[in-house]
Amino acid sequence: MLRALDISTSGLVAQRIRLDAISGNLANMSSVRNERGELQPYQERFVVFQPDEELRSRDGAVGVKVSEVRTETVEPKYRYQPGHPLAIKEGKWKGYVAYPNMDMMSQFVDSLIATRAYEANLGVMEVTKNLSDQSLRIIG
Amino acid sequence: MLPNLFNNTTIPVLQEVLSFSQARHNVLAGNIANADTPGYLVRDLSVDTFQERLKEALTRQAAPREFTLGDVADREPDDAMREVRDSLKTILFLDGSNVGIEQQVTEVAKNQYLHNLTVSIMNSQFRLLQAAISERV
Repeated sequence: MLRALDISTSGLVAQRIRLDAISGNLANMSSVRNERGELQPYQERFVVFQPDEELRSRDGAVGVKVSEVRTETVEPKYRYQPGHPLAIKEGKWKGYVAYPNMDMMSQFVDSLIATRAYEANLGVMEVTKNLSDQSLRIIG
Repeated sequence: MLPNLFNNTTIPVLQEVLSFSQARHNVLAGNIANADTPGYLVRDLSVDTFQERLKEALTRQAAPREFTLGDVADREPDDAMREVRDSLKTILFLDGSNVGIEQQVTEVAKNQYLHNLTVSIMNSQFRLLQAAISERV
């Protein structure tokens, strides 16, 4: 019974990490430099989940863990801003500035899904606690 | 007189479990309070160690003691719980890398369940004693 609580907790943690990644994506919607300050537009971060075998109950239920945080590799979105100090100086994209190519709406939808999943795990935990309280009534 | 009355029940054992769960609750509450403290290491009391020691104490208590004449009042049986009580003092320091607020709250919930279970059993033990004393159910 209490293993179910651990499994739900792993779900909570995984969804919170996913929400963190989504807020990072939205915050960096117009970052044209990377974390080292080099001129490279931000690429979307994806959190990838996998079953966690360490959190296995006797009946085969498994928890979840974050297996990796993947970085998207898409072409940047070019906007023509010839007066911009970071505009590309030569070549095909002369006068353009490279911005992150990210869909804000899908980020919002992802964050909704992650929130609902977090709530679902909380709901399961509530049920588990109710169940154990009910079993206490056998004694009390 | 009274200690002997309780020693025939599981109340001394339950008392240890209760004080363990209360001590652990305090430690876990400290973890949650320090959720945002930089450099704070998560602390815990080891449930496994506690239960291991409790098991040892119980088997020692259950083992028939050898009595020689004149040695009857020599040892009080509740000495067996001393090592169990010591396990409240050994605080584990865990590496804070992988522990978040969710795990701590879950541990609090599990600890609360242990506490409630113990209190329920204790209550029913006292009810039994009450029934025996008052000769009334």
